[in-house]
Amino acid sequence: MEIEKQIQRLQDRLSYIRDIFGPKDNPNRQLLEARLGEFLARGNGLSLAEQVRQVTQLEDLFRFLEKKLDAELTPMDRVRIVRHPQRMCLKDILENVYDNYSEIGGQDEYSIDPSMLIARAYISRRVGKKVHNQPVMVIGQEKGHGQEFRNGGSVKPWGNDKALKYMRVAQTENIPIHAFIFTPGAYPVEDYPGAAQQIARNLYEMAGLTVPIVAVFSEGGSGGAEAIGLADYRLMLSHGYYSVISPEGAAAIEGKTRQGQRVAPELIEACARQLKMTAADNKAMGYVDQVIQEPPLGARPDDYEFFKLLRGELIRATNQVILSVRGLKFFRAMALSRKSKAAAAAVDPESVFVRWSIGSGPRELLAWRRWIKFRGLAQAAYLDRRTTAQKIFSIGQDLAWSLNSFFRYEFLGKHRKKLERFVEEMEAEARVVKDKVAAPVVKIGRRLGVGGNSQLAEAERDSLTKLSNPEAGTCLTDESWAYLSPRARTDRAVTCPNAATHGCLDLWAPDLFGDFAGVCSHCGHHFPMEYEWYLYNVFDQASIHEFNREIEAGNPLSYPGFDQKLAEAKEKTGLKSACMTFEARINGLNLVVALLAAPFRGGTVGAAEGEKFIRAVERAKKKHYPLLAYVHGTAGIRIQEGVNGVIQMPRCTMAVRNYIEAGGLYLVLYDTNSYAGPVASFLGCSPYQFAIRSANIGFAGPGVIKETTGIDIPPDYHLAHQALTRGHIQGIWDRREARKNIYQALLTMGGRNLYYR
Amino acid sequence: MKAKRHKVLVANRGEIAIRIVNACLKLGLDFVCVHTREDHASGHVRLAREMGGEKSLYRVASYHDASELLAVADAAGATAVHPGYGFFAEDFRFARRVVTRDRPLTWIGPSWRVIRELGDKINTKRLARRLNVPTVPGSDRPIYDELEAEDMAAKLFAFQSEQGFDQHVVLVKASAGGGGMGIEEVERIDVFKSVYRRLRNYAKRQFLDEGVLIEQRLFGFNHLEVQILGDTSGKNVVHFGTRNCSVQSAGRQKRIEVAPGFAPAEINYRFDAARVLNDITEYSLRIAREVCYDSVGTWEWIVTPKGEPFLMEVNTRIQVENGVSGAIAAIGGIGPVDLVAEQIRVALGEPLGYDQGRIGLKGASIEYRIIAEDPDNRFAPWVGRIERFDWRREPWLTVHSHVPTDTPYEIPTEYDPNLALAIVTGQDLAEAKARGLAFLDGLVLAGRNAGGGELKSNVDFLRKKTDTLLVF
Repeated sequence: MEIEKQIQRLQDRLSYIRDIFGPKDNPNRQLLEARLGEFLARGNGLSLAEQVRQVTQLEDLFRFLEKKLDAELTPMDRVRIVRHPQRMCLKDILENVYDNYSEIGGQDEYSIDPSMLIARAYISRRVGKKVHNQPVMVIGQEKGHGQEFRNGGSVKPWGNDKALKYMRVAQTENIPIHAFIFTPGAYPVEDYPGAAQQIARNLYEMAGLTVPIVAVFSEGGSGGAEAIGLADYRLMLSHGYYSVISPEGAAAIEGKTRQGQRVAPELIEACARQLKMTAADNKAMGYVDQVIQEPPLGARPDDYEFFKLLRGELIRATNQVILSVRGLKFFRAMALSRKSKAAAAAVDPESVFVRWSIGSGPRELLAWRRWIKFRGLAQAAYLDRRTTAQKIFSIGQDLAWSLNSFFRYEFLGKHRKKLERFVEEMEAEARVVKDKVAAPVVKIGRRLGVGGNSQLAEAERDSLTKLSNPEAGTCLTDESWAYLSPRARTDRAVTCPNAATHGCLDLWAPDLFGDFAGVCSHCGHHFPMEYEWYLYNVFDQASIHEFNREIEAGNPLSYPGFDQKLAEAKEKTGLKSACMTFEARINGLNLVVALLAAPFRGGTVGAAEGEKFIRAVERAKKKHYPLLAYVHGTAGIRIQEGVNGVIQMPRCTMAVRNYIEAGGLYLVLYDTNSYAGPVASFLGCSPYQFAIRSANIGFAGPGVIKETTGIDIPPDYHLAHQALTRGHIQGIWDRREARKNIYQALLTMGGRNLYYR
Repeated sequence: MKAKRHKVLVANRGEIAIRIVNACLKLGLDFVCVHTREDHASGHVRLAREMGGEKSLYRVASYHDASELLAVADAAGATAVHPGYGFFAEDFRFARRVVTRDRPLTWIGPSWRVIRELGDKINTKRLARRLNVPTVPGSDRPIYDELEAEDMAAKLFAFQSEQGFDQHVVLVKASAGGGGMGIEEVERIDVFKSVYRRLRNYAKRQFLDEGVLIEQRLFGFNHLEVQILGDTSGKNVVHFGTRNCSVQSAGRQKRIEVAPGFAPAEINYRFDAARVLNDITEYSLRIAREVCYDSVGTWEWIVTPKGEPFLMEVNTRIQVENGVSGAIAAIGGIGPVDLVAEQIRVALGEPLGYDQGRIGLKGASIEYRIIAEDPDNRFAPWVGRIERFDWRREPWLTVHSHVPTDTPYEIPTEYDPNLALAIVTGQDLAEAKARGLAFLDGLVLAGRNAGGGELKSNVDFLRKKTDTLLVF
């Protein structure tokens, strides 16, 4: 019987290889097929001993060739490995890595979202004579070996909400979080709490969690991965991938295919390679801290050695994170340090005990260190064209602002308040004295001035009929916009898309795009407007001061053909990246603005945009200015930058969190199509999000939703008023009132620590 | 003198379209008319067909669709657009479009800048105040301060009692509002504050601007007008006297207009009426000169029972009642004056050719607006079929009407139910009144509606009002 099991196992291994390498010709696979075939053909005629001998030989051959195949895996092969139903999944890890666990927040299909699995797990070990039971919160996507209801690990918005809930529980219980990422991407529906908004919320909360977070990446598909992947220590399995988008998705965009069309497999292969999504690539770029070697052709549920390795690395990583923020650690830290591989290998992580609950001081430090870690990422992925002198100058300027704001707000602030209060009191006292003294004089004056005059006095009459405030000029209403769209210079009639339903008459382009600011005067439909319109019509005249213009979008992955596309975008728009950061004033109030301009590569966010955004946030924080993210339009993360782009999601969100925690006011204003990564992170996390009526807000466009979920969405699915209904935004503004509304927001919203408060 | 023969697009309907076509014929210009399906039987359609043939008629879906009207202008090869009154007459955007489009046309009316400047009431008020022209007392800019607003309201109440008005109403308006939204009436000063606060909060919520205007509603005043004309140089501005338009319907629409505005020679006033007429004419000219007024226009005035004039607004267009001013006017001794023709003539670039000294104003003229409506029922319009419509022809009578006298006519429900304008002239007001009564007595107007009801008209109302015309 034993021998038949062995043969069966070999057959399984062969079919697995077939699945991974597909129909391509592969000599190794063919060799295995031929040998196994030969053996099976002869099989029954041989003696048992001979069979055993040949099976053992075959097993050796399999082992040898699997290693060989493993060496020549293409990125796309790895994608197929992680998606294979036989790949080990989170349940296997819970069984094999942890000593005890119970699933919480639902079980199997009886869960709010079966693709998000939460477990309270224990790692028990004996160190010396003592047994330690260390609890952790395990959070991760469950692919469930192809179980239909698991949805392939594609987590719905409420699944991410569930994850967030138990992260908060871990925070309360002061236990570490182990996050396992097994997702091709989030399920892109907008139903409450909304795919994008929930991921943004998760990122925002994780940025401030004060318990250690260790993440393990197996399949890290874009936004879905980020929803639980913001970690202090990021481990990656050697056969996994971590990418901005699935290779198929990238190929569909690259090949400009329409919905329903098939993409050429070669293009998908090429995209998988160009996106640099493998563990080695990510380690090299610094987006994961460590790669865990899997057995050849990837870990499957019975690779027990692998689980043991994983357990060790998880313990080591958790220990290391905790030791990095705690005193009394010297020897243990040295023992865990991975600087010398040999030394590390010699120490069994199980033998080093570190208490996993930490005190309040180190807890604060933990979040800070996490920020520092992410702040330093992707620094090589953008072009900084500043000269050394300019760099030194900007460092000096930063320092000066820090000093200035310290003195103004921390040091003098308290004393000034006291002084003001004193002056106020004294004035009130003085007034009482003055009134008492002056009272008799006023009485006499009243008696002298004879009253009872029914005629309106000349002066009173004048105040009703003479020009008031002559200095304001005659024309109070002669308002014309400071910037006119180029479309306002064409002599043509424009038909409103609502004409059929609302009976709007055709509008003349100069009226529509000039006087009406692109708003249909009949139904209020907002035509999209150039971002320059806002620059000139929202902010005070000539108050815009741009900074960090020298930071330019680059091509960090050397993506073929992308250099030229970037050059074209720069040429066409005159911008150096999709993000323009500047200081400006509205009615005299200073604010920092980060603008995402749709004409530059669809307003996509890459390393340069993220860096500029973060620097703008830091500037606003230093100067105690309010911060406005004006999203003229964004199509998401720039896929050609791969993880360099995706990593901007946690980075920018953390910057925003620091700013808000410091008492700032962070406003987001969406103007046109605003989708995907940015909305699912640093934009969606704002408590004050507003939209111009022309906005569409969401996670994925209609095409992607149809392709990934099979749902046909109605055409108004992403409209601003739907986002308002779902609670994703807090208001819809008329474009012509953007200035007024922003000013109102600056006065009334957020921020205990703004310079003008 | 003219390099090319102009062709005027008549972008209007009914009575004014007829007058424009007639003026074009008089000036030797081509014209093209538009009409909607509902208006196929209107007099202007018949006139255009008769004088210009089918090629001078285009059917449009709406008189309100600028793109369609301009498409007609292009198709017909028109070179100028006359908007008449209503519709696009005071729409500066349409005027701007006409003159700035790729194939520019001549706009027969004030330049779009003038329309824009004088089209805004607050703007006009501030302009007038700068020129020391009296305007209706009240605020000329949004007020944000509660004490200032209350103070102004108190003064307005004092003003109203001083001027002898028996009903006192102060209006609080949201300055960012419009279309009747955000207006409240206050009748006593002690409730002002609460009304003001309510409106201010409403305005802040609704329009994001808490500025309010403090104005007043006046009752029992006389409504006077000054007829102005200027040429495109903007330097030659003349007037054609005053009109009194105080006889109005319940909805404040004019029913009888009289030129001149007062008759001090025949009627006793409690104030110096001749001086008032003189003053408002001077004031109107002052503003017209300031803005370089370049077409026909009307300055509307309120005269209080104590004889104080206040500028209300400026109408930057030809008005319905231009005929009464034309009827008493003569240029170089030749009258009456066709103001529509003058408007077209100067718009096409001809200089005015005369000054104020050559304009003579003599006698009196009354215009009756004959309308199918029920004056006893708040002037509700009457809809039906007119079977008989006729009057005795007289040398002192001009009737402008698009309603045929030879065939029955169904009143279209889509447009206002104005049937005819009858202009009666006389040596003095007494003669004009007597002739007016004679005309009304001889007028034949009968019809039935779908329910078999008799036609209702305002003829009795007009007759009743004739006696007291210009008495104030």
